[in-house]
Amino acid sequence: MQFDEKLVRDIISEVLKNYNLGGANSATSTPSRSVSAASDIKFRELGTPTTGGPDEVFIAISPAFSLGQNQTISKLPHKDVLRELLSGIEEEGLKARVVRISHSSDVAAMASAAAKMSGSGIAIGIQSKGTLLIHQKDLPQLSNLELFPQAPLIDLPTYRAIAKNAAKYAKGQSPEPVPTKNDQMTRPKYQALAALLHIKETEYVDPNKQPVELGVSF
Amino acid sequence: MDQLEKMIKDMVLEQMGKKPATSSASLGGGYTHADYPLGEKRPEVLKTPTGKSINEITLDGVISGNITSQDVRIRPETLEMQAQVAESRGRSEFASNLRRAAELIEIPDERLLEMYIALRPYQSTKQDLLNMAREMREKYNANITASLVEEAAQVYESRGRLKKA
Amino acid sequence: MKSKRFEVLSQRMVNQDGFVKEWPEVGMVAMDGPADPKPSIKVVNGKVTELDGKQRADFDMIDTFIADHAIKLGRAEEVCNMCSIKIAKMLCDVNVSREEIVAITTAMTPAKICEVMSKLNVVEMMMAMQKMRARRTPSIQCHITNVKDNPVLIAADAAEGSYRGFSEMETTVGIARYAPFNAIAILLGAQVGSPGVMTQCAVEEATELELGIRGITSYAETVSIYGTEPVFIDGDDTPWSKAFLASAYASRGLKMRFTSGTGSEVLMGYAEGKSMLYLEARCVFIAKGAGVQGLQNGSISCIGVPGAVPSGIRAVLAENLIASCLDLEVASGNDQTFSHSDMRRTARLLMQFLPGTDYICSGFSGVPNYDNMFAGSNVDAEDFDDFLVIQRDLRVDGGLRPVSEEEVVALRNKAAKALQALFKELNLSIITDEEVEAATYAHGSKDMPNRDVVADLKAAGQMMDRGITGIDIVKGLAKAGYQDIANNVLNMLKQRVSGDYLHTSSFLTNDFKIVSAVNDVNDYKGPGSGYRLEGERWEQVKNIPAAVDANELV
Repeated sequence: MQFDEKLVRDIISEVLKNYNLGGANSATSTPSRSVSAASDIKFRELGTPTTGGPDEVFIAISPAFSLGQNQTISKLPHKDVLRELLSGIEEEGLKARVVRISHSSDVAAMASAAAKMSGSGIAIGIQSKGTLLIHQKDLPQLSNLELFPQAPLIDLPTYRAIAKNAAKYAKGQSPEPVPTKNDQMTRPKYQALAALLHIKETEYVDPNKQPVELGVSF
Repeated sequence: MDQLEKMIKDMVLEQMGKKPATSSASLGGGYTHADYPLGEKRPEVLKTPTGKSINEITLDGVISGNITSQDVRIRPETLEMQAQVAESRGRSEFASNLRRAAELIEIPDERLLEMYIALRPYQSTKQDLLNMAREMREKYNANITASLVEEAAQVYESRGRLKKA
Repeated sequence: MKSKRFEVLSQRMVNQDGFVKEWPEVGMVAMDGPADPKPSIKVVNGKVTELDGKQRADFDMIDTFIADHAIKLGRAEEVCNMCSIKIAKMLCDVNVSREEIVAITTAMTPAKICEVMSKLNVVEMMMAMQKMRARRTPSIQCHITNVKDNPVLIAADAAEGSYRGFSEMETTVGIARYAPFNAIAILLGAQVGSPGVMTQCAVEEATELELGIRGITSYAETVSIYGTEPVFIDGDDTPWSKAFLASAYASRGLKMRFTSGTGSEVLMGYAEGKSMLYLEARCVFIAKGAGVQGLQNGSISCIGVPGAVPSGIRAVLAENLIASCLDLEVASGNDQTFSHSDMRRTARLLMQFLPGTDYICSGFSGVPNYDNMFAGSNVDAEDFDDFLVIQRDLRVDGGLRPVSEEEVVALRNKAAKALQALFKELNLSIITDEEVEAATYAHGSKDMPNRDVVADLKAAGQMMDRGITGIDIVKGLAKAGYQDIANNVLNMLKQRVSGDYLHTSSFLTNDFKIVSAVNDVNDYKGPGSGYRLEGERWEQVKNIPAAVDANELV
């Protein structure tokens, strides 16, 4: 048994708490909650994003990212992950804009929505558990430019490399895709845990809530 | 199955030419599992969309340019025969699928893909879907499939899955 | 003091697996969820007004689709009132025919069929499966992929896979834009190893359909459906769009099945508090209603979820059995990595292997698991010999056959060379002699030199823009001197003119004869009936190369 039992218990007890409060939506959107208790990221809500110039890449963060959860499935702090993503884009000389998607916790739906807002047409979508992909506005929702489904295998340098590639696509380049790691044993080890984390993520979904652009400081 | 009856049905199917397969429901299940596989047991009734016999599909035919990608497609009449075979094994839902498929053959690939995408959630308004159904009926005589699209329009409306204005 | 016994146990592979306790409120329960509805149906003037405790006004999208398309209404109310134990007994009674049962099960509601399943233990389910699978002859499918998306290796592995006995082969991609190359490579390799083997390329729905239309693939299966409305919507589809897609495939003469599986809804966060099996039952009914000939189910990519809860692997067998009971072809999972423990993954495999299903594995990894881009399979290329021995030990037909190294090496080489020649004819990217040599002898992509990925992606994109079709592949192969492979690829294309392989549970023999649930109906009625491993096929299975022949001992 390699699960962090405490983490599982925490998730279960928290979600159950929400149930006791009366339903799956009770945890959503206390809108002005700018900082979650243990998160080191400071978010400022900047309102509904408008499409900017071709030199920008959107990062779509999931409903509970740094809100209900503060680390990925492999326990990388969201703060560090987001910092790598921002740095990777900036390193390529482009502007990173962070937007929180609340209407869906599905990573393809999140990234696809953000890509349609992005001036370059490129967006990264990332879930709390760390799963991410690069999307482009003209692709069908379930397609993508690069997908990294096995979150437990992604380390911080890989997050940065993925962000750099997103920026390169935005610049019209055809970068060598970031090598996908593949370990078939992640499923038996992590899948049920991923389910629990995703349930927790999904409790933060509000189908009627519009995307909100966020100012980020650490 | 009476041999004569079958021959008549075959000839009627031949006569149908490019007409959609839906009207052949009146044939009343002429083909059964006894005719299956059609490719082995009834090759004489199998034609390519350009009217060639299935046995003309040969490597020489491809190399000479006589056989093109247009020839390796199925015809509505063939799908209707296969729907009847399916019914003879009690598979009515599958048969309905094949009959819808027979209607869709005429729709160009690109338009077919667009129609599929239009049926995905939040892609179309109710009017878009109803227009698409009308196009199916009027342009392609695809009545069974059009009904399915109209049904979807109703359900999407009541479940809030139409394109947000 | 720490117990040495417990220390040893803690290091066993099974303890690397994740297990969770049931949590029914969010759907983390395999079967018999406390919130699962009780079976009910009311039919008024030919229309369902109540289904499994819900009035029509309260139906969600899925209830509506099932009520209007998926249940044979003639006997629906009668069947709903039948004793579930009695139906469960009929399922494992050898004196009751498949046909009699199908008349009952296709008139059931999702909750009713779950209630019947809950009465069966796994041995009873296996007895039922032996009788209920649609096709008499069992078969098996494999995955052919690699982590580098190397098409030369895919062609070689596909040639080996088809030769080893897989009657369907599936590829997918690491990088989505590689899809056209992977699809061509698996098609060509399949027709080198054993003519008639069907191939598919699992990618995004619209791309997958386009590859099929062009004649580069012959069937599709990763057309996913889900048991709750929010998850279906997250999957960017509805039962109606998927039903339309099913017809679109058939209109182009392509075989197809849907895919679903227990655990997907809870994994995607919207199980609505229902058990995994109940939600999966809804999927099977959607597949039935949409009119597809079959379903790939058995949890598939979500196997870690039912695998982590009590009775989860029993639920996986139950979902396969439900598909068979609804007279659908079932490609029964056993395709994704499920456990670190060899003992546990074998136990899971036997549930489908012993009774036989239409496709026992819907993806035995034909490559080593590190190259399996479906994130690993329950059985992989390193298990080939174990699988052959189990077939021989138990005299059970799992679909594979013993092979010799010489034959396999020759076929791999031929496929790699033919792909090299075809790429040249079609003016795609370059395949070197060094790559052909490496692919011939490779175990996996670690043994392959790296390719110029950017050049490949550019060529693959151009290939799609240029409108290359299956006919162009036939021409290219013939021009390059590979008449035999060209002929086989053409014969695959010819199948779409007759449409015979569209039917339930089809596969093609190596002389392009159709075997399906139309001409090979499962007629099992107890000992002495149904499919038996005997004759030539048994001789083949017996003769594994490792067996010592006394005549050769001096």
